[in-house]
Amino acid sequence: MAHEDHDAIYDLLAARGVSRRDFLKYCGSIAALLGLSQSFVPEIARAVNQAARLQPAVWLHGGACTGCTESMAQLGTPDIATVVLDILSLEFADTLSMAQGEDALAAAEAVFEREGEYILIYEGAVMKGFEGNALRVGGMTGLYELEHAAPGAAAIVAVGSCAVDGGFVMANPNPADATGVQAYLEEKGIDTPVINLPTCPMNPDWVVAVIVDVLLLGSLETGAILDKLDRFNRPKYIFSQTIHDNCPRRGHFENGNFVTEFGTEEEAKGYCLYKVGCKGPQTYTNCPIVRWNRKVSWCVESGAPCIGCGSLDWVDVGAPFLNRHRDLPLPNIGNTQPSTIAGVVAGVAAAGLAVHGIGMKATGRTSGGAPYEEMKERDRKRMKKGGGE
Amino acid sequence: MARRVIDPLTRIEGHLRFEVEVEDGVVTDAWVSGSLYRGMEKILLDRRPSDAFYVSQRICGVCPISHGHASTMATEDALGITIPNNARIVRNLIEAAQYIHSHILWFYTLAALDYVDPVKALSADIADTYALAQAAGTGVSDFGAVANRLQAFVDGGQLSIFTNGWFGHPAYAEDMPAELHLIGVAHYLEALEMQARANEIVAIMGGKFPHFMTSLPGGTTFIPTEQKLDDILFRFLELNEWITNTMIPDTLAIAPFYAGAFEYGGGHGNFLSWGVFNDESFEGVNRYMPSGVIKVAEGLTVADADPANVTEDVGRAWYSSPSGLNPSVGEADAEWTDYDTDDRYSWTKAPRYDGAPMEAGPLSRMLVAYLRGVQPVQELVDGALAALGAAGRPEILVSLLGRVAARNLEAKIVSDWSLEWTNELIAAVAGGDSNYFQPHSVDAGQGNGMWEAPRGALGHHITVEGGKIARYQVVTPSTWDCSSRDDDGVRGPMEEALIGTPIIDPERPLEACRVARSFDP
Repeated sequence: MAHEDHDAIYDLLAARGVSRRDFLKYCGSIAALLGLSQSFVPEIARAVNQAARLQPAVWLHGGACTGCTESMAQLGTPDIATVVLDILSLEFADTLSMAQGEDALAAAEAVFEREGEYILIYEGAVMKGFEGNALRVGGMTGLYELEHAAPGAAAIVAVGSCAVDGGFVMANPNPADATGVQAYLEEKGIDTPVINLPTCPMNPDWVVAVIVDVLLLGSLETGAILDKLDRFNRPKYIFSQTIHDNCPRRGHFENGNFVTEFGTEEEAKGYCLYKVGCKGPQTYTNCPIVRWNRKVSWCVESGAPCIGCGSLDWVDVGAPFLNRHRDLPLPNIGNTQPSTIAGVVAGVAAAGLAVHGIGMKATGRTSGGAPYEEMKERDRKRMKKGGGE
Repeated sequence: MARRVIDPLTRIEGHLRFEVEVEDGVVTDAWVSGSLYRGMEKILLDRRPSDAFYVSQRICGVCPISHGHASTMATEDALGITIPNNARIVRNLIEAAQYIHSHILWFYTLAALDYVDPVKALSADIADTYALAQAAGTGVSDFGAVANRLQAFVDGGQLSIFTNGWFGHPAYAEDMPAELHLIGVAHYLEALEMQARANEIVAIMGGKFPHFMTSLPGGTTFIPTEQKLDDILFRFLELNEWITNTMIPDTLAIAPFYAGAFEYGGGHGNFLSWGVFNDESFEGVNRYMPSGVIKVAEGLTVADADPANVTEDVGRAWYSSPSGLNPSVGEADAEWTDYDTDDRYSWTKAPRYDGAPMEAGPLSRMLVAYLRGVQPVQELVDGALAALGAAGRPEILVSLLGRVAARNLEAKIVSDWSLEWTNELIAAVAGGDSNYFQPHSVDAGQGNGMWEAPRGALGHHITVEGGKIARYQVVTPSTWDCSSRDDDGVRGPMEEALIGTPIIDPERPLEACRVARSFDP
């Protein structure tokens, strides 16, 4: 990139009130998230800035708690104002739109007419209950809104576990018949690509990374984005390692230093939380690296065992959260590598841990602490089906 | 007479619809409809009480801390657990950080666009803006840069979140100078930083926000280090400085242009607070913001609040379970019929206290605290009333503008207390108290967690049998405020508050949106 290009970009940024240093910091963090070397920073900077037009987007709420919007508002670099003023043209968003009522819906409608040009971001579960009346928007069902918005989108980003698979809302007994965006669109024969970003809420840095990756670097048009997704349409660069793999307390695990009860000296020392129920070993996200709330901390650093909110079907799989996961034999799943089993077999997510547990048992590291859960009837049923899905 | 529908009401948490009848430029009737049913109470059944701490937070992504605390307190009440003093202080601090975040977010990000018109800001003179900011005693930003950024944005022609906004609406105060609009826009941007700063405190003590991890039944799993105490204190100091020197002066600078909003939007004048921020007694009446009930029609006096007096009607909402149950024995069997304002029209039940609808929220808390003689509340409220030319007339707070002002004043008070509590924790740690968690083994009981979310009175009610949840009911602040009509046809608090609202343009009832948003639903 030529020098004069740099200057043009920074003049533009200065007009927007963004310092060169902050902007490079933000491009650097995106590069890191995408698994690119820092030599890509100028390319990301150019991609973000060369768009003469902002990327049109609509952010819809299904059966949501607004937590994913809130999480988005906690962005550091870039901050949320930069995202909604200088990167996206977010022309409808329940929580942020200046417009209300039918004028707000008309703004969304105008975007839906621009086929293939907009990103749809969907927060919350898809509410099928009561013929879709578990959620009503503008006098129609929430289902109508999604079916209306989805076909013309260039891509859909399902943010948070609820949008991915129904999240806590679809936990047993699933009173409002909730499901995820991808499953619902498949049911309706709508084939717009869906990128899934689980955890409850989703981490806002991931959303920025995906937006930059998908649209500004052009990987959607080339289809390259699909190669970056795992079989559950989650970006591999975020969801291919467990929390346990990257946990700063991993050394304590290896050394056999565990917290077996809260309120103890071991807890004050920051020992491993595995024995008080930590779901880190079976939860595939990069939380220990990306961290939360402008990177100030994350769950385990605050002394809390991971509850696995990034796993599929996370409440039924993870609860009781303070017990250690039920010990399950491996189902018959063919040639899948053990390291990916836990991520793949959502319904019996303990499988990977069970493999890991062989070594752990041999060294005596699994004794003490909270009890293991017994296998549940619903697990057995899934196992019989042979895949856990 | 015209029926006007606003659906969706944007810039709130969740999904809400309202309808108003407008006659001769005034709202004469109103219906408020909660548009979403998820069935949280059924999802929690048969799980462990500690699971409810995590899962029930997901009721609300703006106030998960309060749900987590109410849930964990319900379990502690049921199982007879008393948490250590350090855990009490840690919880107060996490709750305070969420309050500060929530009140900043509400005033600037959600509500400000009803009072500040970004297009008007474009014609501001920059030098005059600095002069006005100094005269108002509010924070000075780089107003020129903000104006340039706004101009560049408007020139781009893509209005993003401002698309289809009611720019130039006649209900924006005609005499409010462009410079004050620009100050509002500049502080809208600053506020995004500040609410995030508050949540950094939640993340330090609770792992992340939204949805935190540490206030488990028994205490907290957060054990502070010197470094973390320092990280918390300097953030609370920064927030206190900003609230004192920007948010409060902004409130007092903008309010006189909307003084007409002291005249309407009050509603029933019934107020309920369960109290929030525990002192060492853990008693509701002794909390920093104490519990109490006020019925203004019966005089400006406060009575004790008792959860036994709460019932929920469902006659106008989509439930088949019986009306009139206390939440401790409550049920919530959903049954969709049809949307009909003459019959059933909402997923929101109608909670009643002694049979009467009750407003929940900062106005309730501030009035209860004022009447209970909480000194910093009295001083701040009296000072604000004097500044707005209403000295000695606290009753005018029962209005739209009073509800807005009460929230912002509460942000200041909670922020002041947050510094006191951080120092209290530092002193406790320095004094050698290292107790944060009370182990427990009881596995049955019934308990209530009565608490206050930033947006108002919150109750979690749990029955535990054999270590598992046998019954769980939640009454949220928005259930109180956005209540449907009860079985006697009495309107909910927001419905009643809408009555009498003047509407300049019936096609665009901005004033009604202000009243609805003032509850922070």
